Amino acid sequence: MSFHNPLTRRESIKKILQLSAGAALANVADTNGLASVFAQSPADKKFIIEAVGRTEGYAIKELVRKTFDAAGGVGRFVPRASVVAVKPNLSWARAPQFAATTHPEVLKAVVELCQEAGAKEVRIVDHTIHDARQCFALSGAGLVAKETGADLVFPRSTLMREMKIGGSRLDSWAVFTPVLEADVLINLPIAKHHSLSTLTLGMKNWIGAVGGSRWSLHQDIHQTIVDLAQFFKPTVTLIDAVRIMTANGPSGGSTADVETKNTLILSNDPVAADGAGAMLFGRKPEEIGFIRLAQKQGLGTYDPAKVDQRQVSV
Amino acid sequence: VKARHLVWIRRVTQSLFLGLFLFLVAESRLPQDVYLDYARAFFGEADLRLEAPVTFFFRMDPLAALTTLLSGGTLIKGFLWAAGVLALTILTGRVFCGFVCPFGSLHHAAGWIKPSLRGERLLAANRKAPSQRIKYFLLFGFLISAAIGLNLAGLLDPIAFLFRSIALAVVPALGNGLRSVFEAMAASDYKIVQLLSYAGEVLVAPVFGYHPQAYQTGGLIGLLFLGVLFLNRIRPRFWCRVLCPLGALLGLCSGFTLLRLEKDAAKCSSCNLCTKHCQGAASPKPDAAWEPSECVMCFNCFDVCPEDALAFRFRRASASNRGPDIGRRAVLGGLLAGVSLPLFGRLDGRVDKVEDPRLIRPPGALAEVDFLEACQRCGLCMKVCPTNVINPTLAEAGMSGFWTPRLIMTQGYCEYTCTLCGSVCPTGAIRPITAKEKTEAPIRIGSAFLDRGRCLPWSGNAPCIVCQEHCPTSPKAIYLKTEKVPRPDGWEISVQLPYVDLKRCVGCGICEYKCPVQGLPAIRTISAGETRSPRNQILL
Repeated sequence: MSFHNPLTRRESIKKILQLSAGAALANVADTNGLASVFAQSPADKKFIIEAVGRTEGYAIKELVRKTFDAAGGVGRFVPRASVVAVKPNLSWARAPQFAATTHPEVLKAVVELCQEAGAKEVRIVDHTIHDARQCFALSGAGLVAKETGADLVFPRSTLMREMKIGGSRLDSWAVFTPVLEADVLINLPIAKHHSLSTLTLGMKNWIGAVGGSRWSLHQDIHQTIVDLAQFFKPTVTLIDAVRIMTANGPSGGSTADVETKNTLILSNDPVAADGAGAMLFGRKPEEIGFIRLAQKQGLGTYDPAKVDQRQVSV
Repeated sequence: VKARHLVWIRRVTQSLFLGLFLFLVAESRLPQDVYLDYARAFFGEADLRLEAPVTFFFRMDPLAALTTLLSGGTLIKGFLWAAGVLALTILTGRVFCGFVCPFGSLHHAAGWIKPSLRGERLLAANRKAPSQRIKYFLLFGFLISAAIGLNLAGLLDPIAFLFRSIALAVVPALGNGLRSVFEAMAASDYKIVQLLSYAGEVLVAPVFGYHPQAYQTGGLIGLLFLGVLFLNRIRPRFWCRVLCPLGALLGLCSGFTLLRLEKDAAKCSSCNLCTKHCQGAASPKPDAAWEPSECVMCFNCFDVCPEDALAFRFRRASASNRGPDIGRRAVLGGLLAGVSLPLFGRLDGRVDKVEDPRLIRPPGALAEVDFLEACQRCGLCMKVCPTNVINPTLAEAGMSGFWTPRLIMTQGYCEYTCTLCGSVCPTGAIRPITAKEKTEAPIRIGSAFLDRGRCLPWSGNAPCIVCQEHCPTSPKAIYLKTEKVPRPDGWEISVQLPYVDLKRCVGCGICEYKCPVQGLPAIRTISAGETRSPRNQILL
């Protein structure tokens, strides 16, 4: 990964962010720290876990825990004393029942599991579309941060930085830097319908990790999604499909558009995760422009034969 | 109580109330750490509300209560506080001006910290002057105008004036200045500078927020504020003596005050210290009759008199007080102004004849005539609005509606479930509504219209569904149809074209705000279709 900006500058922001969070730690300064977000997950082997809550009144946290356990446990991805950035989809100031934002209990479970694994700090990072205060309040993310002690990063101009994206459509773009400035990056999207890109899953979630005039990305939505997906490399993607929005996406606003699936999809291959997500809507992965394009450009594969597949249930 | 103690009690009380006022201005916003129990959010019962009693000073304001009562016939929420202030004034004179009023304290402080006049010039400036009748003229003008149906009191009401100045000019000006400093620091290559930037930003965010604020005419509001403060260099507490209509109202009530300045002419050595320290130009010196209507009860004369010739005492009304010096011209002029303002103010037709398409009022705003009877133009709704969409009008509401609230959709949008503005409006010009009422009734504030020539897909320039995806109603008021349109190069492309369903549109303006065609968007909101107006309707 090459950056337009000199490495020293990026590294310095990272340190400053950690300092401003009021901590000094050992492994940030180590030379591998910076690369870890962009590196492959600990094992190079691609996997995908599909977890379903089948029993009545199952605990969401148990489902999340089992999902990670099937992949070797949260500790496999979250080293002790690491800084974790969790990127949920909190775009809209909508209450959780409308399935427009990541389920607060899934978010809470992920944050808590990271903390249990020994993460030094967990940050919830999202550049929302509506006013961030109302998004955080209505989606429940604010309460999650309060209850877990996670750092809810408030999006603002000083945290946006023009960076070299190196995509075929986006050469450089303003990036919400807290998404990058962590040892571990967990992509935590909700599976939803979208009126232009058909679906919004993991890779499209990176539109919430950039600033600038985001509305113009829609003019070539599939390519811009793939451009961002080759820039942001999550450690894992966990798609929240506890309930999904099947129509009127991405903002929805009616419980009539919401379907309960009680499903989570975890993968270290963003394309495989989105491919499995598409199947929940009864769509083939190749029907979705950005998934097809992402495989074509070598970001991963939605071919189930090429990844290690496992299914768990609670 | 010794005079010395009285003066110090006054100073402490003034500081406390000014501090409380500034605190409440700062609290008039959605905090950064607003939490909502999502179990409650699941059932859609919870509305976001502010915790601090941000309308406290407006409730204590008898002028706001009286003008709203005269114009709309309504008693505003918390009017008993204002009644209490009136009762206090009748018993003890203008102690509100001397002890409580934050604007008065600010003027007092401005003259005290940096006095511009000394000696003979100060003495001359503190003698009672005919210009002090101007405030009665303004008061009568506002009262009569309100009785006829146009409430203009908020333009010069000290609480509204100060709130508007601090909230719409001082805070945003400082906040935007700090923001540019932080942005420059964050872009620095020096780590320590970046660290300071983030730390500073977190530190000031509770007051200034994380996003730049802008208000139409904010510069004018700020300049007027500075101008009024500058007047203290001509005469101490110039505003309170000459301009303040609330001071005039309290002056009218203080004629029978039981707390009186008693003078002993025999002891007076004519040192003039009392007059030099007088804040109200109320003739404290024993050679003239004390003016209770002008006295702001600062107790300075009582404190400074070296001969003990002056003392404030409670006495039953055996001795008669000098009545307020109003003057016939102030009464007649006020009458004339009060009658002409509402009549002339409507001559531009904005109230009775034409609807200005740009005049989009906040959700829950009363019908225009009722709205102008109640709105204090204080700026509280503008300050609390989380998206900064509510702005003071310039000409959109006509002459009589100057500085009333208006939504500028290129600057923000009305958040679908947000009902903060109505929850804080001191006079009920914007009704307190719930998110349920707003979305289910629904309360429309206008309607969106497409400008197909500017629209990216309609003009064949690019696919775009931004307005549709942001549309908050369910089903969406903006819907898409896939059709073929010619591209600029002549080829036909198949794109999704947006259409507006007026039956569903609530006029929130997020489509206009988010449209990629910035400045003059391809989809724009106008006031037509607003629920509050029976006349300004489009559909049958």
